[in-house]
Amino acid sequence: MQPKLKSKVRAADREIGEVTRVIMDPLSREVSHIVVSMNGSGERQVAMAHVQSVSDHLVELRSAASEILALPAFKRDDFVTTHEVEIAHLEENIHVTPGEVLVPFPELEKSVKRRTFFMNFTHAIGFLIGLPIAYPILRYLMKPMYQPFDNSWLKIGNVGKIKQEDIGVQFKYRKKVKEAYMPEAEIEKNVWILKATPAVLEKVYQGKDMEFRDATGTSVWVNKKEVPYIAFSGKCPHLGCGYKWRQHKILGQVFLCPCHLSIYDASGKVLDGPAPRPLDALPIKISAGGDVQIVDMEFKAGTKAQIRIV
Amino acid sequence: MQQPSSTSTQPTALEKVIAFVDERVGLKTLQAKMLNEPVPGGSRWAYIFGSILLFIFIMQAVTGILLMFYYVPTADHAYASTQYIIHDVDYGWFLLSYHFWGSTAMVVCVFAHMSQVFLWGAYKKPRELIWLVGLALFGLVMGFGFTGYLLPWDQRAYWATTVGVEIMDKTPVVGDFMARFLKGGPTPGQMTLSRFFVIHVMILPAALMGLAGLHIFLFRKAGPAGPFRGSVEELKVKSDYFFPRQVWKDIVGMVTVFLSICALAFWEPVVLLEEATPDPGDYHPEPEWYFLFLFQMLRLKIFAGEFGQFLGAVALPGAFMALLAALPFIDRDPERNIFKRPIALIGWIVVMATILIFTVSAIINREFLD
Amino acid sequence: MTDQESTSPVKLALKLLWFTFWTGFPIKLAFALLFLAMGIINFEARIGLGFLMVLASPVTVFALPILMIGLDSHIGEGVGIGLLFLLCIPIDIWAYGVVARTYFLDRLRLEPPDGIGLSLWIKTAIIGALYLPILWLVVGFTTETGISAAHSLFETEMLKWVPIAERIGIQLTLWGAISTAVLLIMLLIGLSIIGRVIRGATIGAQPAQDSYQRRVMRWDLMRVPADQGLMLTAFAGTGVVLSLLFWSALPVTTPHPHECCKKPEVKAQPPYKPIDALNKDEKLIVQLTAQLEALEKKKAEEEAQGKNKAKGKAGKEAAKVPDAKAPAQSEAKKP
Repeated sequence: MQPKLKSKVRAADREIGEVTRVIMDPLSREVSHIVVSMNGSGERQVAMAHVQSVSDHLVELRSAASEILALPAFKRDDFVTTHEVEIAHLEENIHVTPGEVLVPFPELEKSVKRRTFFMNFTHAIGFLIGLPIAYPILRYLMKPMYQPFDNSWLKIGNVGKIKQEDIGVQFKYRKKVKEAYMPEAEIEKNVWILKATPAVLEKVYQGKDMEFRDATGTSVWVNKKEVPYIAFSGKCPHLGCGYKWRQHKILGQVFLCPCHLSIYDASGKVLDGPAPRPLDALPIKISAGGDVQIVDMEFKAGTKAQIRIV
Repeated sequence: MQQPSSTSTQPTALEKVIAFVDERVGLKTLQAKMLNEPVPGGSRWAYIFGSILLFIFIMQAVTGILLMFYYVPTADHAYASTQYIIHDVDYGWFLLSYHFWGSTAMVVCVFAHMSQVFLWGAYKKPRELIWLVGLALFGLVMGFGFTGYLLPWDQRAYWATTVGVEIMDKTPVVGDFMARFLKGGPTPGQMTLSRFFVIHVMILPAALMGLAGLHIFLFRKAGPAGPFRGSVEELKVKSDYFFPRQVWKDIVGMVTVFLSICALAFWEPVVLLEEATPDPGDYHPEPEWYFLFLFQMLRLKIFAGEFGQFLGAVALPGAFMALLAALPFIDRDPERNIFKRPIALIGWIVVMATILIFTVSAIINREFLD
Repeated sequence: MTDQESTSPVKLALKLLWFTFWTGFPIKLAFALLFLAMGIINFEARIGLGFLMVLASPVTVFALPILMIGLDSHIGEGVGIGLLFLLCIPIDIWAYGVVARTYFLDRLRLEPPDGIGLSLWIKTAIIGALYLPILWLVVGFTTETGISAAHSLFETEMLKWVPIAERIGIQLTLWGAISTAVLLIMLLIGLSIIGRVIRGATIGAQPAQDSYQRRVMRWDLMRVPADQGLMLTAFAGTGVVLSLLFWSALPVTTPHPHECCKKPEVKAQPPYKPIDALNKDEKLIVQLTAQLEALEKKKAEEEAQGKNKAKGKAGKEAAKVPDAKAPAQSEAKKP
């Protein structure tokens, strides 16, 4: 128990006064000293070590009154009140006021049923304020996230440009895009087109025609495996960087992505690097005059499965 | 300490005003409670980083708001308006460079502050909640850096963001949704810029202010931890108050950081690359320097493949953050002296050295790209 | 509490130098910033090094010019660098005085002798001037050797297969660890020398008689100026003047970097490698020559056949060959 303010103080031999102040150690947050009134002879600061027992109204010291009187006088200037400083966890640690300070408890609040009802009802109404707008907000934020696909054919050049077989040739083209409210813009894109020998063609198609479907499952286009031209999307399936056709010192002529050094052979198969799948082939149509048309598709980067996103 | 009120007969006009406010607000008590907090063992230079972070945030907010006077967050104007700030607005280059280097300073100070708290063991009981809120604040600072980087809309900005968001896509179940939400669609574009702008100038600042307030409140509730060694007498003799002593040290720290950021703005003012295009051309995407170590880690062969990328980009960093969050609950030993906590000390050195090595490796690796 | 006998020279030197550096740093930084704004300093890429060296005096104040001139270690251009040095001298002497007096009172229980700041500064600056070039050479040599050793290690058959990212990381760890270790050892030796010098300064000092509380109060109040009004006015006034100078000196638009120290531009073009281009061309020429020979051989054979068949066909073959030659020549011209 902590000594209470205003409780009487008795030394070993006689009563010497009352507890006028209590001093606390700010680090340990324990009572370190009491200040005793000494019945008018000048307050003394008495360490708790001198205290033998503490009760609600009385503090008993083990030393004689004369010893206490011999202690140095209490210097008020060496201290500040707890209102003038910020000591953390003060209230939990200090219990020196005798008795309690009370305020009346309203009659209406005595009914627990009443309190719980209004509390729950408040929660319900708060919830119902939020609920109607949650769905519109979600749809509002999600509006541009899932777009329908554009499957139109784009003319990007002529195969006359390709002089050799099994060599990657970059075809740059411009695509008109209209994003939301932005004015229609033309963005520059590129694909790599190969005139493939039967060996490479076999590696790409593996005996089956390549079918492209939309979200509902209906077929959009089929790349016939006999057509010797293959168009690869210009974006590396690893993380979407633009890759190049390069001479590698060991692997020969390959597709090489500068970002993380994914390497693909002429058929788009992964030779080295972090690419999760081979290069993405696009729907391709060659006219009699050699004009190339493709459907510009984009696929999710970094996944093993080929998932179309644009 | 309170100033003794004037002993002359009439209170001055100023004293009357103060008394008026004090009667209604409890100003004197409030002031005492806020400022007269004893710091066990005295104020220390080691404790300044928290206040410095607050200062840097305020400077970023001020320079950021100033930049918004001229910057336009649309894909067709972002680049031009940023160039306008750099080349045409008086001292615009200086304010933009200050904002840019301020973000670097913030990350450096966040690492310093977290390290100081960790080494001093100030995350242990009863300060677990302060640590957790602090980790959330760390995440917010990283978010600030990531979202702000896109705004100039040059090649560097666009591609660092593209790669970063694609990495987030690797998270299972929610990755695709999260990536589409951030990009505002399947591919980065105007929607991305709008979203990043809102997040950078509204959502993150509001969250930061709220969490920082909570952080400071919890810190005040628990009281400063103080030094991890020292005799009782030494602690008592050197005790001083938060104000003016610690505040003095804080402000000297702030002025040093302020001058350093200005000096950096002179050494390397912000220069934009060409405007963003969907084709990176010969440009090699790279994130901000404080993400470089992750970027380099993902180049290692053990993180190749879809699962590997998820492991390196999401799982491992996530697990590390979870470890940090769990730290106050697994490390229950009340010992705070870092020299008596060998696991903690070695762990800290290893983590810092690893981040340093990977960051420098990423810089060296630039020479080896095609 | 530490006693003067039990504090090692290294700890002593570290404490004093660390606090002296940070005491003087903000003041030096303010001037450095002003000089940067005025454009009289241009730091090279190794700015970290530059800043630390210039501003980490007192040990570096004589060492750095020696390094810059003697060892050709260039950190930047501009008269501002020299000015900063000169400014560092009084700032450091003052900082040394404050820190040394504090330490003497707080930890060593000694009365600080007069002029301790100046005497310490002279001694440590000279030691720094002699020792730092040695440290520079040793660490530089170790680093270079380490780097080349690490690189050649990965050229060997055993480790050639290691992929680039891993290779860079391991190489960096290897030579980085070695260089760091050597640097730390050299620093410890240097600190130990300085520590002994500082200890030498303590030998003649009188013991301080006051209680610990009293001594702490002494060094604490040492920082409070006798005439606060004057000090604050002078400080604020100087600050205002420096700010005005800063405002007038600050360039309105982006300052152009000095010719010495341009940052390397982010490469938009891949670097042109002449050897590769030559090799490519050579290969192409060989290829085309072979093609040409084959065509000529074919032509010769066909002509021989053609003489036995209708003469009309020869005209067609002759027309084909110059066509084959023409694209071959234009290909050779391309790269």
